[in-house]
Amino acid sequence: MTLPIVDRPGARPWPPRVSSFTRPFWEALAQGRLLTTRGKTGRQLTFPPKPFCPHSWEREVEWVELSGRGTLYSRTVVHAAPALFAAEAPYQVCIVDYDEGIRVATRLIEAPEDIRLDSRVETVVLRYSDGPLFAVRPA
Amino acid sequence: MTIPVAIIGAAGLPVGRHQARKGETPQALEHELLAEVVIDAVAGAGIGKDMIDALVFAIPRAYTQQLYYCTFIANFLRLAVDGIVGEVQGNGMTGGLAFDQAAMMIASGRAKVALALGSSFETAVDSAEHMNRSMRATGDIDFHTPFGFTPIAWYAMDAMRYLHDSGASRADLASVAVKNRRHAGLNPLAQYRDPITLADVLAQRPIVAPLGLYEVPPRSDGAVCLVLARADLAKDLGRPHAIVKGRGFHHEGAHQINERPSDMTAFQACRRAGQAALGEAGLAAADMDLAELYAPCTIVEVLAAEALGLVPRGRGAFASRDGETALGGRIPICTSGGCLSRGHPPMVTPLYGYLEIFEQLTGRAGARQVADAEHAIASCELGNYNAAMIHVFEGRA
Repeated sequence: MTLPIVDRPGARPWPPRVSSFTRPFWEALAQGRLLTTRGKTGRQLTFPPKPFCPHSWEREVEWVELSGRGTLYSRTVVHAAPALFAAEAPYQVCIVDYDEGIRVATRLIEAPEDIRLDSRVETVVLRYSDGPLFAVRPA
Repeated sequence: MTIPVAIIGAAGLPVGRHQARKGETPQALEHELLAEVVIDAVAGAGIGKDMIDALVFAIPRAYTQQLYYCTFIANFLRLAVDGIVGEVQGNGMTGGLAFDQAAMMIASGRAKVALALGSSFETAVDSAEHMNRSMRATGDIDFHTPFGFTPIAWYAMDAMRYLHDSGASRADLASVAVKNRRHAGLNPLAQYRDPITLADVLAQRPIVAPLGLYEVPPRSDGAVCLVLARADLAKDLGRPHAIVKGRGFHHEGAHQINERPSDMTAFQACRRAGQAALGEAGLAAADMDLAELYAPCTIVEVLAAEALGLVPRGRGAFASRDGETALGGRIPICTSGGCLSRGHPPMVTPLYGYLEIFEQLTGRAGARQVADAEHAIASCELGNYNAAMIHVFEGRA
C-alpha cells in the first residue's frame, strides 16, 4: 500500500537532516511509505524512528510500516509563523493518534478550519522540490 | 535539604520593552539594569553585600551580548563569594532552577544568603525572526520543526482539546486574560495595565487558533533579583519574609509529545510535582491563599490550576469566568497579572512569580494585596508542562 502524494511548490522551509540511521525513513517516505521502528524483542513502537527502543533500551530494532490512518487528537492554525514559514502561513498542524497505537505531530492539510477533533485522517506524502515531508488530511 | 530557607528580599525592573534596536543609541544594557535591581533587593532585605555567599543566575537570552554574564556581574557589583557563581538553563523553568539552586545552597549549609537573579532581554528582535530560533526549542528539530510548530502552537493544541473535552467556550477561556489584565492594573511592575474587556480579547487577530493576540505571551524584557537566606537568619533580621515550605518536581520523560497516547491536558508532571510540594509542606491545595502560575497562554493557567487541585478538573475556565480565580475570589491566581499582562521575559519569568508571592506574603502588594495571605503556591515548567517545578510558601510577619 502506498500513500497518496501531494506536490508542494518550492523547497521545504526547514529541511530535516538525514542520518545513516534515518535515511531509510526518508527514502521510504519519498516512495509513499511511512515507516518507524520497534524493538525486535519487546515490539514496542516509537516515533520518530530511533536506533534503540526508548522504552526498554534494547538496541536491536526493526523497521515497520504504518498504515497512516488514525484520528485527530488536536490541531491548531498557525497564523503567526516563524519568518522561515511565512510563505506557508496560515497553516494547520496537529496531533494524530495512529491506529497502531502511537501518537505523532504533523501538518494537517485540506481540512476546514472547523474540522472536529476525533475525525478520521489519512497520511499523505508532501513532495517538495528538495525532498519529502508528510501530512495528514481528512479521510 | 535540612536547613529551612526563606525569601528575605526581592526587586524587579518593571517588565516591558526596554531593549533598543541594534545600532541605536542609547541602548538599555542588561547589566546596568540588573545591578540596580540587585542593590534594591539586598537593601530591602536589610543585609550587607558581604553576607552574600552564592549567586545563581538564570542564563540570559542568546541576544545578550555579554558572555560569561554571571562572573561579569559578580565583578560589576564586586561580589566575592565562597558558595557558587553560575548560570542555570532550563527553558521556561530557567528562573525556577536559579531559585531552586540558590535554595539548595542554603538548605545544604553551603550558603547563609544566596541570590537568585537574572535578566531576559529580547524585544529588539521581532517575533517572526525570534520564532526562527524558538521553533527549534520544542519537539524534534528534524521530525517536528519541518512542519512549522512554534512553542505556543503546542499550547494552542491543548486549548483546542480542552474546549472539545470540557464544554467550556472560547469566551470562558478568554476570561483569564481579562482577569489577569485587571490584576496587572494594580501592579507597578506590570507591562500592560490598561483594562480590557472580554470583547476586546475575542476581537484580537488570531495567533494560534483558538488563541488570539491577548491570549498568548507578549514580548518582554525584565531583570529581577531574589534574596534567599537561612530561615533562622531571616527571623533574626526581624523583617517580614516568606518561608519555602515545600518543593516538588517531575519530568515525564516527554518533550512536548510522547508517542504513547495520553491525556495531554492533564498536565501530569504538574499534578505530581504539586502533590510532592504540598505533601512536603504538610498542606493541601485548599490551604493556598493565592497562586502564581507560569502560564504563557490563557489555557496554560487553566490546566496548571486544575493539575494543582486549585480548581476541579474541567472547571478551570468556568472558575475564571465566574471570578473564583480573581482578586477577591476564592483562590486568586496570578495577582501579578501573570505572563499575559505582567509580562513574560522568559528566562526570568518564574523569578517574577516568586517576587509577587514574596510581596503578597509580606503584606507589600498594595492595591492587589490578598487579605490575610498566609500560604501561596508557585509553578514553572519545561515545554508543554512536560516538567513542572512547584514551590509552596508561608508568610512570616
